[in-house]
Amino acid sequence: MLTAYIDFKSPDSYLAIKPILALVERHSIAVAWRPFRTSEREVPTVTDNSSVAKMHRSVRATSRCAIHQKYAAYQGINLQFPESIGNTDLALGALALISGDPLPFVKAAFAAYWTDHADLNDPAVLAPLISETIRESFAFDKKKFINALESAQAEILELGIVDAPAFIIQDQLFIGREHLPWIDEIIRTET
Amino acid sequence: MNVLQSDAPLIVYVDVKSPYAFVAIRPTLALEVELGMKFDWRPLTLDIPSYLGSAEKKEGKVVASSGRSAKVWNAIRYSYGDARRYAKRQGLILKGTEKIWDSSIANIGILWVVEQDRDKLGRYFEAIFPSFWKRELDIEEVQVVKSCLTEAGIDSDGFDDFQSGEGRVLHDDLQPQFHPHGIYGVPTYVLNDEVLFGREHIPYLRWYLSGQEGPAPDIAYEIESC
Repeated sequence: MLTAYIDFKSPDSYLAIKPILALVERHSIAVAWRPFRTSEREVPTVTDNSSVAKMHRSVRATSRCAIHQKYAAYQGINLQFPESIGNTDLALGALALISGDPLPFVKAAFAAYWTDHADLNDPAVLAPLISETIRESFAFDKKKFINALESAQAEILELGIVDAPAFIIQDQLFIGREHLPWIDEIIRTET
Repeated sequence: MNVLQSDAPLIVYVDVKSPYAFVAIRPTLALEVELGMKFDWRPLTLDIPSYLGSAEKKEGKVVASSGRSAKVWNAIRYSYGDARRYAKRQGLILKGTEKIWDSSIANIGILWVVEQDRDKLGRYFEAIFPSFWKRELDIEEVQVVKSCLTEAGIDSDGFDDFQSGEGRVLHDDLQPQFHPHGIYGVPTYVLNDEVLFGREHIPYLRWYLSGQEGPAPDIAYEIESC
């Protein structure tokens, strides 16, 4: 069993979906999708007087955006960053509570955020997304969703997860889709 | 020297004190051999305290730390552990450093080797990186770097003057160019003015430099033995 920790607002998570699904198809394995709230940051605005630290963060963030767009294009995805980073807490809380297969919801939530730049913290956006993708009876309860996310988040931080996508397989933690070759090897060894 | 320009097909920036650079050296050297190319290897001496805070450890325990939140510490712990397991796959040992080193002399050594005996650059990396990461080398000592040069079969006569003169000037001239040109860490690969940070781009570099046949590969840490 592979556990994948994702956040819908994380471009790294979004770009990991296709490669993860390819891995699933190759090995017919199950994936447990779990929420992890990342701390995505806007690209800092810098001036000539900005500190080296701020300059570093700005250069790094700008570079990462360009890299995401580059590899997104190779996946056939036209990655457009929203004007400001959205809050995805409600959607992540819903993910924490889904007991059946959450994959249709995961795909729909990523598409809503990255294609439509939808507000995944808005019940009016999220409720239809859930009802269209999740078969189980799922009462929309904002407080319950947020509590589920906070509880999951606290447990996940204990695991040492600092970003998404993160993967746990055979008690090993991997952060980032660049580790998929190693994860693939673990799965091949397991089976 | 312009940080983005070279006659070589690829520029590679590394820093001896970076665990990411350490685990990228062998795969990048292997790529060079595989493609039959010579990359333009250059030093980028990281100013770690300016963006990650600073810390000092003694016998594995942190004895001094500034500017590091719990989150930053978690990220650093994960990064070291991650680099360590990939180093292990390469048959290498990576021990956490006990302080943030000034790696400029060791990095100026890269410029020296490129100038004196380019074909022995891989040997220099093998002489300095693995021993440093086993905590066996004080890379702030000129004599230690010279020993690594000698071990790699490179003449070190003149290195004293080079590291404090011409080499230092070359090295120091590069440093302020990095941020304005979008470079912030190591290993960084510069391919046709495009800046790619991290060895996860090696599959893409191979694809691009070998003729771009088939679909472009995604980022990946390759796990074949080096």
